[in-house]
Amino acid sequence: MSTQAEITTLDRVRDLIVKYGFIVVTVALFIFFAVTEPAFATSASVLSMLKYASVTAILGLGVTFSMVVGGLDLSIGSTAGLSVQLAAMTMVFYNLTGTTAVSVVLIGGVIVGVMNAVLIVVFKIPDLLATLGMMFVIQGVKLIPVFGQSVSSGMVLPDGSTAPGKFDDWFLQIDRGTLFGIPYPVIIMMVLVVASWFVLSRTSWGRKLYAIGANPEAARLAGVKVKLHHGLAYVVSAVFASIGGIILVSRIGQGDVSAGSSSLLEAVAVALVGTSVLGIGKPNAWGTLLGALLISIVLTGMTMMGTQYYHQDTAKGLVLIVALLLSYTVSRHKNRYVPAT
Amino acid sequence: MKRKVPTMIAVTTAAVLAMTACTQSTSTPEESSAPEETSSVGETTAAAPAPFDGEVSVAIVQQSGQGDYFQQYLNGTRQQAEALGMTLDVYDAQGDNATQATQLEQAIASGVDAIIVRHGLPDTLCTGVNDALEAGIAVIIYDVVIQECAPDAVQTQQSDALMASLVLDQMLADVGEGVDVGYVNVAGIAPLDRRDVVWNEYTAANGWNELFKTGSFTNSTATDTAPMVTSAVTSNPSVVAIYAPYDEFTKGTLSGLEQVAGTEDVLVYGADISTADIELMIADDSQWMATGATDPNAIGAAVVRTLALHMAGELDGMTVDFPPVLITRDMLLENGITNMEDLRSSIPELNISDVSSADWIPSVTF
Repeated sequence: MSTQAEITTLDRVRDLIVKYGFIVVTVALFIFFAVTEPAFATSASVLSMLKYASVTAILGLGVTFSMVVGGLDLSIGSTAGLSVQLAAMTMVFYNLTGTTAVSVVLIGGVIVGVMNAVLIVVFKIPDLLATLGMMFVIQGVKLIPVFGQSVSSGMVLPDGSTAPGKFDDWFLQIDRGTLFGIPYPVIIMMVLVVASWFVLSRTSWGRKLYAIGANPEAARLAGVKVKLHHGLAYVVSAVFASIGGIILVSRIGQGDVSAGSSSLLEAVAVALVGTSVLGIGKPNAWGTLLGALLISIVLTGMTMMGTQYYHQDTAKGLVLIVALLLSYTVSRHKNRYVPAT
Repeated sequence: MKRKVPTMIAVTTAAVLAMTACTQSTSTPEESSAPEETSSVGETTAAAPAPFDGEVSVAIVQQSGQGDYFQQYLNGTRQQAEALGMTLDVYDAQGDNATQATQLEQAIASGVDAIIVRHGLPDTLCTGVNDALEAGIAVIIYDVVIQECAPDAVQTQQSDALMASLVLDQMLADVGEGVDVGYVNVAGIAPLDRRDVVWNEYTAANGWNELFKTGSFTNSTATDTAPMVTSAVTSNPSVVAIYAPYDEFTKGTLSGLEQVAGTEDVLVYGADISTADIELMIADDSQWMATGATDPNAIGAAVVRTLALHMAGELDGMTVDFPPVLITRDMLLENGITNMEDLRSSIPELNISDVSSADWIPSVTF
């Protein structure tokens, strides 16, 4: 009896912090920066923060899917980088349209996802290791057809000729265009967040994915085709990476060889931060979005305050650790994400 | 046990807030004084025109801030901005081009009066630069070929053509015409491409026979270039001189040559300068004969002066080239120069304090 009384007082506080702690911190930081930096909360600045968050959030959603099935997709950043090269090549080398480039990129994403899936579920390589291997392979493979160079319109090819194509104006508008003043990347991000939330939380497929992540053996006994759905989660992850890559290459306007390489850690971080939002303890779409927004707010605010990049990296790391403390240490939930290796 | 948990949460939250507060307090301008080189500020003999009679805020949007060169550059920019009474925000994309595009948007949104864009890809930055110009923000570009799409932006760069011709004139004087030469460079990087144009002119005009072109531009350029030079020189032993117009290439060339016996007489011509480069040039039996260089501190400062002139409506034209100087191994040895400080006092031209100067601009010298 007395234990029950103790749980109600202490654990209520605890639950409140676990549930709303992160949202409160995000809002508090936003207000803090808005007060200290007059330019921070202007509409242009807020839109640019959302835009900044979009690629991270979309890649984070991909990571979220891989985390839901108990894995972790480390190849997500290099897959985005592959998309950058594929899109640039399609338009600049082969002089094809932006629509073709988008199709090529998405097909490329599916292929990467299937390869990850085969390595993991058919050849039984642990998720982390399989996607680590793929990460390196893709980083190298993406440079082979472009001779290791950044692809830009009018570049000179090794045989001395000039590349015939250029970036489709339509394609460049993916990052630069707006609908009712809202940049397309933000709209794409929101559509994907809602779609991911719906699929993960409101469909039987989503429940199967979570069941696989919680206990694959139990899921199998319950009649779930564990291998198939585990693999499909990686295909979704790679397709999300491709979409992120399309936005990246549209933003850069060149097949930048280094694009995407810095995205992996941020994507994993925001998906992990996302597990702590609302005390869910599991990877989830809205949490990932909030994680991306929080990182974007912190980075933009600190940049405007004139801090150095290493302070920003420190801040990013602290945000992640606090999120992990909330999920793993403070929370009473036991169904938290533990990556299978 | 359970009672401790809320306390721990409180401590954690406090720690996070404290961290955030800490980073804020270190962001004040004083912080920038840490890596500064010694510098002095010139006198002005006239009152500053508008808008410099009021407050002017400037943002620098840089593609990368890491490395000695870029730190010196930013130091020069900070000092000259301070001397002119400007406030300076620094956006550093850490080498990520997509981030640079976003940061350019953020700089525009922050409502500054002027933006300096340093390095990056023209296709990436073009839209943002035009957005800034449309918003009435003055834009100065350093080392991005952007005037084709944004003609209203002022373009600045170090004169790579002059840097190459100064060094190649020296090479011509040393080795003469009609000899076998090697070349270490890659295509696709704007300043290196400009040096490449001059190199091709010199090889054609002087009957130089280019036996190899090699080099690799990576995160560890010197290390990756060395083995390429080793194999190129091994298969082309008749080479008497090598032009490597970027100091990482030059370093890679020197260590590549070390691996091949019988190449001790091959002369190496480079570009850029730093204390580490000076040490290589003055080493016993060094093969690095000459380099063309600018002082990144001085360039960083000259860009700000160009911006000031432009904003005051006093800049002639829309392009400013910063002239380099020739530095030879003999010159370094004769004057006992062992580091950048010696070099600056020995060659005051490195300060280029007369470039983009005016009687109301206090020029910073290093």
